[in-house]
Amino acid sequence: MLNKSIVRLAVPLVVGALALTGCSSSGSGDDTVKIAFQGPLSGDNVALGENEQNGVKLAIDQANAKGDLGFKLEYVASDDQGLPDKATAAAQKVIDDESVVAVVGPAFSGATNTASPLYAEAGLVTVSPSATNPTLTDPKNNFTSLLRGVPNDSMQGAGMATYYAKKLKAKKVYLIDDKTDYGAGLAGVAEKGLKDAGIAVVRKSVPQKTPDYSATAKDVVNSKADALIYAGYYQDAAPFAKKLKEAGYKGAAISGDGTNDMKFIELAGAASENWFLTCPCTDANVEAGTKKFAAEYQKAFNRAPGTYSAESYDITNMIIEQIRAAKGKVERESLRDALAKATYKGLTKTFSFDENGEFKGTDVYLYQVKGGKIAYQGNINQLAG
Amino acid sequence: MSLQEFWDYLVLGVMLGSLYAVIAIGYTLVYGVLQLINFAHSEVFMLGAYGSLIVLQLLDPGENPTALASIGFVAMAMAGSALFGGVTAYGLEKVAYRPLRRRGAPRLIFLITAIGASFFLYNLAGKLFGRDPMTLPEMYDNNEVFSLFGAGVNITQMLQFLTAVVMMIGLDLLVNRTKLGKGIRAVAQDAEVASLMGVDIDRVISRTFVIGGVLGGVAGFLFANLNQVSYTMGFIPGITAFAAAVVGGIGNIRGAMAGGVLIGVVETMTVPIFGDEWRSVSAMVVLILVLMFRPMGILGKQVGRAA
Repeated sequence: MLNKSIVRLAVPLVVGALALTGCSSSGSGDDTVKIAFQGPLSGDNVALGENEQNGVKLAIDQANAKGDLGFKLEYVASDDQGLPDKATAAAQKVIDDESVVAVVGPAFSGATNTASPLYAEAGLVTVSPSATNPTLTDPKNNFTSLLRGVPNDSMQGAGMATYYAKKLKAKKVYLIDDKTDYGAGLAGVAEKGLKDAGIAVVRKSVPQKTPDYSATAKDVVNSKADALIYAGYYQDAAPFAKKLKEAGYKGAAISGDGTNDMKFIELAGAASENWFLTCPCTDANVEAGTKKFAAEYQKAFNRAPGTYSAESYDITNMIIEQIRAAKGKVERESLRDALAKATYKGLTKTFSFDENGEFKGTDVYLYQVKGGKIAYQGNINQLAG
Repeated sequence: MSLQEFWDYLVLGVMLGSLYAVIAIGYTLVYGVLQLINFAHSEVFMLGAYGSLIVLQLLDPGENPTALASIGFVAMAMAGSALFGGVTAYGLEKVAYRPLRRRGAPRLIFLITAIGASFFLYNLAGKLFGRDPMTLPEMYDNNEVFSLFGAGVNITQMLQFLTAVVMMIGLDLLVNRTKLGKGIRAVAQDAEVASLMGVDIDRVISRTFVIGGVLGGVAGFLFANLNQVSYTMGFIPGITAFAAAVVGGIGNIRGAMAGGVLIGVVETMTVPIFGDEWRSVSAMVVLILVLMFRPMGILGKQVGRAA
């Protein structure tokens, strides 16, 4: 027993000592500061991760290209496939690279939930452009390194509920979550909002990767619901949308930022027509502030920016601004503290955080699939009137 | 649940079950001749779906093809999936199982090899075809063609059901009426004696794999019509179909059909009653109940050597 506890104590000490020596040598040697991105870069929802990765890359490349930094920025990719069980390994990879001073991500709520204790212990700041589960910033979790760069699902779910209640005057809503941290969180808030507005709710869970959505689609039609909320990611929303169309569902359908991607339309085809999509993100291709960014993004990656591309770009620039202020000589914990207190006016919105790392701001935007495109409608609360 | 709803879900369940049945046949055939659970069969299924996707992307149906062209596209896609499934199964037998059989490796080694081959194949597919899910291009307007007990049946569902039935009848005839079928039954009963009687065991086994692979591949295409194509799509239907094969009595072809349809109906009926999240639970409950009261499966009897 005694031996074991000595070993337990000794290992982190030795590792820590090694890390420290590594730190000092690399710090004085070459002036390279690394910013990492953690999110799905493979797997079923890879499109959502790539949107963000490209935003991060673009910001880093532009900062390097300016040539006035005095140090070199480098990008580190860490793939968690958007899955909680892959997230710890992905986080550890980033933490072990001593020259990484900040992380953009993790992209998904489930992955953020499992990776955040590791980041907190390492004192390495993570600013997520898209993890929207409301409980992540609960002070009880002690995720001291987590900053959220996006309004959480309380806003998105409430937005959906308000829109259905006020604008579409729905009587009965069929509400589905996909059993992920993200989906269940979003559905929970939406359910509360709908019930408060006096709308009948049928709440069902359909786990991800369900092989056949025909029966669920039939259930939606049979329930006589006039509106539907799907809280989950595009990979499952797409086949479900197809089956809904086949089953003859005529009501309104809405889904959140997990579905807000061109991939949804690609996979669902004509069945995606008229689906509403919400997102705390603005459309970089439409908003005036991000037109220039969208052009640069298009040039760099040969495609239009997607969901959260511009937000990731903003967050990366916010991090770069802080590193620049410290003239490239940053340590993880001081950078974390500086970012937590900082305010940054990005292209999409102004970023600042409360004491729990929660984003200060509530804006959620509505989109609708029209003619095979995701058409930007505007701020959901203003639209609901 | 109203009576109409009961019919709705029953029809959907039989459709889905017929697909499970076709996949389950692949497990059962191989088990019959080799006493081997070929866990890589779910990857045969997945690669079959990619086969049809590749064919359709090459042909590119475009917008609103004519009815005749639609039939052509479906036939070509099906042929592509059958080819991919058959070749994969053939390769599997040749590379993964035959060397073991030559060396007289114990059963457990076969099982581990099967799981290893499954991992290898689906990761290879992810690498080759990308890890993004994809959908088959639309080959026709998926209209409702007729209604069965008031439950509407669309083209995709009809295609799915008819193909499954045709394949199952064809297989039943093949096994019971042809020389190859006789060989398969002989090897299943007693490989050693069959070989003494002049049956070329290697050839029979390899053809059995190909038949199972063709069926699995086509099921992959039909399934891709139902959902979408991805490198991980094989796992859940594969396991479910395996359970169906066991429920029906593994080694028994008609048993696999019955088990598949039963599991499909139970899964689908679960959705309106308990909800989608109980789907797999109810399938496994059926498996456990059958195993408790009839360990050899519904139509199973001891086929060949004791496993």
